[in-house]
Amino acid sequence: MLLREDGKARLIAGGTDLTLEIRDHTNKFEVLVDVSRIPGLDRIHSDGYRIHLGPLVTMTQVEESRLLKEHAAALWEACSWVGGPQIRNRATLAGNIVSAQPAADGAIALVALNARLKVLGVKGERELMLSDSYIGVGRSAIDASREMIIGIEFEVQHQGEASAFRRMAQRKAMALPQLNCAVWIASSAGYCTNARIAVGPVATMPFRARQAEGYLIGKPLTDETISACAAAVEEEVQPRDSVLRGSGLYRKEMAEVLARETLKLAISRLEGSLV
Amino acid sequence: MKQIRLQINEAWRTGWANPGQTLLDFLRNELNCTEVKQGCGKGDCGACTVMMNGVSIDSCLTLALQAEGAKILTAKGLGTKDNPHPLQEAFVEKGAFQCGFCTPGMIISAKALLDKTPKPNRDEIRRGLSGNICRCTGYKKIEEAVTSASERSSEQCDDRELKD
Ligand SMILES: Cc1cc2nc3c(=O)[nH]c(=O)nc-3n(C[C@@H](O)[C@@H](O)[C@H](O)COP(=O)(O)OP(=O)(O)OC[C@H]3O[C@@H](n4cnc5c(N)ncnc54)[C@H](O)[C@@H]3O)c2cc1C
Ligand code: FES
Ligand code: FES
Repeated sequence: MLLREDGKARLIAGGTDLTLEIRDHTNKFEVLVDVSRIPGLDRIHSDGYRIHLGPLVTMTQVEESRLLKEHAAALWEACSWVGGPQIRNRATLAGNIVSAQPAADGAIALVALNARLKVLGVKGERELMLSDSYIGVGRSAIDASREMIIGIEFEVQHQGEASAFRRMAQRKAMALPQLNCAVWIASSAGYCTNARIAVGPVATMPFRARQAEGYLIGKPLTDETISACAAAVEEEVQPRDSVLRGSGLYRKEMAEVLARETLKLAISRLEGSLV
Repeated sequence: MKQIRLQINEAWRTGWANPGQTLLDFLRNELNCTEVKQGCGKGDCGACTVMMNGVSIDSCLTLALQAEGAKILTAKGLGTKDNPHPLQEAFVEKGAFQCGFCTPGMIISAKALLDKTPKPNRDEIRRGLSGNICRCTGYKKIEEAVTSASERSSEQCDDRELKD
């Protein structure tokens, strides 16, 4: 159907972003293709190696999934922060990704989980890493007038791995995140063997703090190295001044605090999974 | 324009919807369900909350055409004056509204909460109602009303169990 309309149509899922665009006339679509009622596209399952999420999986479904709570705590936590219940009941993760906001909670967690997207388009199916799907603020490499995300995948959690998500906002619910952070960490015998740290909104897209990650890998997971790693995150991020979210300088300093807390939370889960 | 059919408070209704029209607009202006309120029109206030196929949604963020064939529950469908829903009784008794503008949405969110969590604690109530804004009451009385309704509903169940 999308293919037939040749770029004039647009996919709509939960509509929590798109309905506003329609209302504000910021975007004109000749045809809307509603995928929200196609059965079977909202599955969450594991094949033992990877976890697969269908394109219609909503925030509420993630929040209520025991599989994800166990294997992707960062995602589970992030989704429980999105809007209020009415929003979470409609908002899909795929929509959260394609809207391409650098602060999107769901997407930040998925970046830390190193998620991969399956996309169906005119030329057939392709796969790309979520982190490669961003071209700029609000701009995704996935063209929702010609292509559709048909799956979101990431690896199951192995022994010695854990993840966590935290965010800083003015209110506990329904608030714009001032900063959010997701951490995935792998360890062996108290040493960090691999790490991914995603922070938003500090750049035009969800940001990977690669220097801080590089610092941590190979180090023992002590309070000292965690603090040094968090300081490296602060060093790396470049948040802008924002009337709504707070000044750049303030948020840069807070990035250290948030990163430290998120790292600690993830590591506490590591210890839990080691016993 | 397209003609759509949907179930509102258990009765099938038919109306004409425009492609970009929100469910909120369709319910109010085409089907005259004025108990569904329009506040912000962008998902922030929850005044327009209805249940669609068993879950609460903001009708201002859903297109009418996406609700084709769906089951919609509005505050009016909860109960009548003579036979009110426990939540409606509790809202009246506890004085959980002043101007009443937020109430139809608030009560639907409360219903969605109690469907999932029959005995919510304070934090669960706050979280369950976090998508609804009230400018008058300061929320305390709403919280009390939901607690009271949850006790009432379980009493009713107990009664029923005894009778069976
Ligand atoms: C009041 C309010 C509060 C919010 N709070 C938060 C918050 O705290 N944190 C947060 O991260 N987000 C928040 N959001 C935004 C969040 O609801 C959206 O980003 C949501 O996840 C988008 O999903 P959707 O299904 O509603 O997408 P839609 O609005 O249906 O679509 C969004 C975009 O994605 C495209 N699209 C949808 N599905 C696909 C697919 N399968 N393949 C390709 N393209 C697709 C559409 O064409 C469109 O461009 C909030 C929104 C509102 C209105
Ligand atoms: S009118 Fe829908 S949330 Fe405010
Ligand atoms: S009673 Fe007036 S807004 Fe809630």
